[in-house]
Amino acid sequence: MRQPLDTFSTTLPPDKRASVYQSTKATHEKRTKLLFDHFADPNRLRELAGEIKQHTLEHLDTYLPAVEAKLQSNGVQVHWASTADDANAAVLKIMRARGATKIVKSKTMVSEEIHLEAYLKKHGIESLETDLGEFIVQIDHDHPSHIVRPIIHKNRREIAQSFEREGLGVYNDDPQTITRRARAFLREKYLAADVGLTGGNFISVESGRLVLVTNEGNSRFCLAATKCHIALVGIEKLVPRDRDLGLLLNLLARSATAQQLTVYTEFITGPKSPTQPDGPEEMHVIFVDNGRTDVLATECRDILRCIRCGACLNVCPVYRQASGHAYRSVYPGPVGAVLSPLLAGKKFPELADLPKASSLCGACNEVCPVNIPIPDLLLRLRDKGKREHAPLASAATPPMGSFATLATHPTVWKTALTAGKLLNVLPTTLLPVPPLRAWEKNRTLPKWRGGEFRNWMKSRPDVRRKNAQNAQKS
Amino acid sequence: MSSSRDQILSRVRDALAPLPSRTPLPEWDASLVRLRNSTTPADLWAPFAERLRSVNGTPLASPLALISFLTENNLLRGYCDPALHASLASHFPPTITLSTELDRSRIDDYQFGLTAAFGAIAETGTIILSDNTTSSRLGALAPWVHIAALRRDQIFPDIPSAIAALPADPNIIWVTGPSKTADVEGILIEGVHGPGLQAALLL
Amino acid sequence: MDLSHRRRPAADRRVQLMATCLCDAFFDDVARATVEVLEYLGCTIEFPEAQTCCGQPPFNGGDWPASRKIVRHTVDTFAGDAPVVVPSGSCAAMLFHGALLEFENEPDLPAVSKLASRTWELADFIVNALGVTSWPGEYKATLAFHRSCHSRGTPSGEAALHLLSSISGTRVVPVGEAEQCCGFGGTFSVAFPNVSTAMGTLKLEHLRAENPDVVVSADMSCLMHLNGLAEKSGSPLRPQHLAQILRDALKNSALI
Repeated sequence: MRQPLDTFSTTLPPDKRASVYQSTKATHEKRTKLLFDHFADPNRLRELAGEIKQHTLEHLDTYLPAVEAKLQSNGVQVHWASTADDANAAVLKIMRARGATKIVKSKTMVSEEIHLEAYLKKHGIESLETDLGEFIVQIDHDHPSHIVRPIIHKNRREIAQSFEREGLGVYNDDPQTITRRARAFLREKYLAADVGLTGGNFISVESGRLVLVTNEGNSRFCLAATKCHIALVGIEKLVPRDRDLGLLLNLLARSATAQQLTVYTEFITGPKSPTQPDGPEEMHVIFVDNGRTDVLATECRDILRCIRCGACLNVCPVYRQASGHAYRSVYPGPVGAVLSPLLAGKKFPELADLPKASSLCGACNEVCPVNIPIPDLLLRLRDKGKREHAPLASAATPPMGSFATLATHPTVWKTALTAGKLLNVLPTTLLPVPPLRAWEKNRTLPKWRGGEFRNWMKSRPDVRRKNAQNAQKS
Repeated sequence: MSSSRDQILSRVRDALAPLPSRTPLPEWDASLVRLRNSTTPADLWAPFAERLRSVNGTPLASPLALISFLTENNLLRGYCDPALHASLASHFPPTITLSTELDRSRIDDYQFGLTAAFGAIAETGTIILSDNTTSSRLGALAPWVHIAALRRDQIFPDIPSAIAALPADPNIIWVTGPSKTADVEGILIEGVHGPGLQAALLL
Repeated sequence: MDLSHRRRPAADRRVQLMATCLCDAFFDDVARATVEVLEYLGCTIEFPEAQTCCGQPPFNGGDWPASRKIVRHTVDTFAGDAPVVVPSGSCAAMLFHGALLEFENEPDLPAVSKLASRTWELADFIVNALGVTSWPGEYKATLAFHRSCHSRGTPSGEAALHLLSSISGTRVVPVGEAEQCCGFGGTFSVAFPNVSTAMGTLKLEHLRAENPDVVVSADMSCLMHLNGLAEKSGSPLRPQHLAQILRDALKNSALI
């Protein structure tokens, strides 16, 4: 059995791989330059933000009830959704209560986790994406391939064709024209919609402020044109104090898109003020679990610190070669390789290969604004995959039982070292040993020299006197 | 049958119970996020205007500058906050029509929106809007051009100070330049759903 | 990575050498060079014959029980209190970081921690334990230094670069996209051969951009993968381990 991600990477057309590579590399390099130009110690900031988020996770037992109380006192209706079904049902209930049938939504990955659009469609409710990238994904019945740049895998010609197909104008692949057409089309939709549905980047426990971070103005329009706001928020999105937002907001945009701040940072406390003509008269927050409490119960809980910046995707050499769809889940890249198999719960075996799809280089941890030790978490999940006998976890991996026997019996080891010289005369490229095959397809093997060093070491002259002399020199 | 709320909270408690110790909330000083080489001049309009320009925003240092800007760009029909209208209308030539009520059914008729800002942030070139100071959310969002009017004393030096001063308002928006996207092949396009031209007027 | 617990060598500079399984099997000259360099610095080297492997391959592969067996054997083999010096950032990191992870619930964690606190990668040991600030001798060559990923978060990369740059005659050239992994990753190289090869090919392009005479690293695992690729495509590198450069610099000036 081959590793699916490795196979997928060979199917990527070269131009797609090149565009993913160039795009992620450019953003990564700009992000790094910006952080180090702006701050004396960006790594200290990442460590601090990591501690704040870790603290929050480890105190969700008190913070969740506290933020609920605060939201309610701000006039927000709070709902809880244990499963994806519960979350979908909660949205539907609100829609039904209002006799509403049209939603305009801004980007929220939770909605993809729960397959909201398909569920609502079954119940006669239209849910239209308004983020340009997500809109294009929606009309193409596609899936996003990057957390922040959902159509990093599409080119302008494909988009122009889709727009023409959807009746948005004759074929025109000029990016500005495409964007203007989306603006005009969605504008009418915003104004005709009943409900604006958003996610939430952060919720402050102290003030109950829901923070939305965008560039396009789509979440603003969802909340200016409609009369009801529904926010889907993972239970891990809490932040203890407003002042902690000052640190996280300084890190988020720089890490995600190499901007100091995104164009719009919204702090929403409740329905519109009484004197304001535009905006929601009702606001709902649905706290979604959908597997997060399972993750919280493991030693991989640190992954819940994630603030969805995508910096790990941008630096990851594996992501750059395979691209997002290779991860077969809502969350791709390094964060996805940990989060997706864990959120899958009982279906962990279906994604048990994702933690293997890494050379454990650690670049992801180095750029993570909340300092998640991703390689350690990947290793933990490899252990889990093996213990649970998930076939995908051991695909194409040499079994280690015999190696352990060899490596715990020095006499046998030393014999093997000498015997290994056989490899120098065997036609190794013909041996039916899968790892050898995989190696030698593109690489030569070095000459086997087992036993040489040990023989040399044994016959090494006594150099103690020489050492004493050298010790004086250095 | 327990509710989702009960299930979630009890699973959270069970998940955290075995932890031998829990990470404390670290204290951190705002100086850690101070930009290198930053200064705090007495007049914050100048650094704010410079940062605003760097994010492709348009600083307008006076009502005169506003009128020039509007006429040069052929912006002749706009929405104006009724409160601002009282103080600014006299500067406007008769060629420019100002409406103090926004008609949703004719939203694309307004070439610009002129509303009051709650404040601004100098280190980022950010304009701060709020429900209580913005006469119409759509008036500040839908027209291609938005001009936010603010006074010198409303400008905060940096993000931590702006956060510390977040008012009790249901909808505070930090606006940093015109709306934009790079979704199509990473090419930056300004003016998506929000304004394509974002200005700040010094009152 | 918290390396604050590491203990400095005693005045008699006794060290235990962990040669690594790769050097045991393929790269004997690297292990030899390590011995020669450490002895030049006045160290007395004990080579515990029972050593085999640090346990990393099964650890990375997810077989922690197999890995723990090997680590236990290593703990027994390296009994004592002298520093354990290893010419590999990846093996060193396995002992002072990886092993602590897989032993966190094991009763013999204290013994493993003790070994972790004595383990040093070679360049880190030379610069930060023995206090060497400049390397004597001569080595006339343009060098491209590949900093292996396992030295992330440790002083090793900087220490190696510092030593190489200090040698009279060397010119160390910059390497583009230095943070990008070479693609070896242990069993990753055979479980994900296509991605691994693509990564290695990119790395080779960057390493060769300034036409270096030699490609140097403190990890033979990376060099084995990179040179394997280079050789197969018909243009082998001149890969050298840091220890070999340091030793040859001394030899070139007849200091050893």
